[in-house]
Amino acid sequence: MIELLATAESFEQAKHLIDCGVDTIYIGEEAYGLRLPYSFSREEQRAVIAYAHAHGRKVTVAVNAILHNEQIKTVPSYLTFLKENGVDRISVGDTGLIQLMKQPDYYIPFIYDAETIVTNHRQVDFWAKFGAVGAVAAREVPFEELQMMAKASLPIEVLVYGATCIHQSKRKLMRNYFNFIEKSEDVSRQRDLFLSEPKGDDTHYSIYEDCNGTHIFANNELNLLPYLGQLAAVNLTTWKLDGLYCSGESFVSIAKLFVEAREAIKAGLWSEALGAQLDRALRRFHPAKRGLDTGFFLLKPDQVK
Amino acid sequence: MEKLKTAIFYGADAVYIGGEAYGLRTRAGNFDYTDMQEGVDYAHAYGAKVYVATNMMTHEGDEAGAGDFFRTIRDIGVDAVIISDPALMTICASDAPGLEMHLSTQQSAVNYETLNFWKDFGLTRCVLGREVSMEEMNEIRAKTDVEIEAFIHGAMCISYSGRCTLSNHMANRDANRGGCSQSCRWHYGLFEMDEPGEHQSITEAGTEPFSMSAVDLSMIHHIPDLVNSGIDSLKIEGRMKSIHYVSTVSNVYRKAIDSYCADPENYILKQEWVDELWKVAQRELSTGFFYNEPTENEQLFGQRRKIPQYAFVGQVLEYDQDSQIAVIQQRNNFGVGDELEFYGPGMRHHQEQLHSLWDEQGKPIVRAPHALQIVRMKVTQPVKPNDMIRKRK
Ligand code: SF4
Repeated sequence: MIELLATAESFEQAKHLIDCGVDTIYIGEEAYGLRLPYSFSREEQRAVIAYAHAHGRKVTVAVNAILHNEQIKTVPSYLTFLKENGVDRISVGDTGLIQLMKQPDYYIPFIYDAETIVTNHRQVDFWAKFGAVGAVAAREVPFEELQMMAKASLPIEVLVYGATCIHQSKRKLMRNYFNFIEKSEDVSRQRDLFLSEPKGDDTHYSIYEDCNGTHIFANNELNLLPYLGQLAAVNLTTWKLDGLYCSGESFVSIAKLFVEAREAIKAGLWSEALGAQLDRALRRFHPAKRGLDTGFFLLKPDQVK
Repeated sequence: MEKLKTAIFYGADAVYIGGEAYGLRTRAGNFDYTDMQEGVDYAHAYGAKVYVATNMMTHEGDEAGAGDFFRTIRDIGVDAVIISDPALMTICASDAPGLEMHLSTQQSAVNYETLNFWKDFGLTRCVLGREVSMEEMNEIRAKTDVEIEAFIHGAMCISYSGRCTLSNHMANRDANRGGCSQSCRWHYGLFEMDEPGEHQSITEAGTEPFSMSAVDLSMIHHIPDLVNSGIDSLKIEGRMKSIHYVSTVSNVYRKAIDSYCADPENYILKQEWVDELWKVAQRELSTGFFYNEPTENEQLFGQRRKIPQYAFVGQVLEYDQDSQIAVIQQRNNFGVGDELEFYGPGMRHHQEQLHSLWDEQGKPIVRAPHALQIVRMKVTQPVKPNDMIRKRK
């Protein structure tokens, strides 16, 4: 069973994504969820859940922030809200939240998503014992290892399109810098600033700040569209599309390509040629100034030390 | 090994060792259990503990052999492992029962429920994330009953520990398997991009470049707060540091903590302790997240002060009271006429100018230029084996 998840940036977009065949909508609010295209109000979250359920689809809500004491105190009321509104799953990155959810009143089936630190199927099996129903593989895991991770007792979610976070600091790294050079600058995601490496002028790592700190993203967005057949063949069939840096109709169009791929695979009609054709189409919708690559997917495990 | 002994000799109650053990993958052939046994025996003889950092995040296959590894180090007498990977924890719990586990800072534990989780799982201590404030730490203490350890001195990641893969992406080196290339300390361009993808730098040429380098942590000014917080262990970061550094920092904190505990009412921080830390400081110092969120002043921007100003020149091996002759192992070039500072455990200190120096054969010499060279010198005030010698640069 292939599951296609997609982030949404508005109720409207969520509707379009559902209408075009996405299985699960991924939304949340900035106070508890990391690196979301949009921070949904409670009312909007309720509306998305209702619409998805009316169409037989699911909603996962991001509660994957690193939680400090204050948030650990306020998060139970959010869990209650989500439970009351029938959210299907949440994503979790903080162990304290898992501790809270040992109380049946708060428990919501959850996807373990601690970004960089999910790299081995045994870790996933560990979280399964505490109520996880899935886990998100770190982007730094090559395909050869992902295949082995598929042995886990839970479905492993793989990012197949979108941005990869490679650094989260609690510090206001941009504001600190601008203060130092005495420049006033917007540091939000909308400002759309990039870093380049000292030895790579053509590199472009997106960077922004929000209430969870400073976030830096990989040089290019990940795109595994041509490799979906390979993923499906080894039972890695939970695929996430992240629209943090691709908005509006373009993102919906990209989602449609993945839906087409899913249907072809289900029907046994997948081919490399189809993959290449869909991939060409994807490149037309992907923002022109942003790159695409395959991240760590094709690396050999021993290429990273 | 030398560092372990130095840390204990200079007042540490426990040492954590890692090196090759950090990455289990490199364990084979590199990791020397005999050394570890020697270190553990030495520590235990002084009533100190040894913790082994096994805080990598394993990829598939890295965990092979971990069971044997944990069993072996348990039998050697290691007091605990510092661990962050649940896969390794599972193996450690099942294959080496009795070996205590401490949660590594790599798990970024920053709230009390996280500590409760790990306690329920069986861990005996948690090292907090460096983003925890003093106020949060006090609350965590009040709401948990697992041992708490916090970093109080040394270099730190500018990211949430474990949540940075800059190095993986920029240098193909896995930060969570001990390979970090410290990419955060590099200088970056900062720019916006127009539609066709042209880069437009947003700073003028000649402006300080963007970087993300944190100054080091030092809590020497806040020993009473740390002691009163009721946490169980104060941790000094000492990876890749010299015995000069380790001895000095351990010495200072030992002295400050003991002074405070002996007489909290009349405790005052001595300027000489602070000065002492500055002699080995590698960067500016700050209190991290303990009292406020770090600003630009807690990052390394602009002209950097030249530190350290002291060089470690040697270690005392023997001293003969009657002849006032000390046998010294050289660590950096020094010679007759230099003003030398001697120090030992308990913050024993004295300075004197060097007048007479001999080589191992007893031949008078003017300088000791060779690394690890053994020399003799006249020292008028008594010193002891393991005392260290430094001089101003
Ligand atoms: S690059 Fe810097 S912040 Fe990232 S893991 Fe390495 S030392 Fe820590």
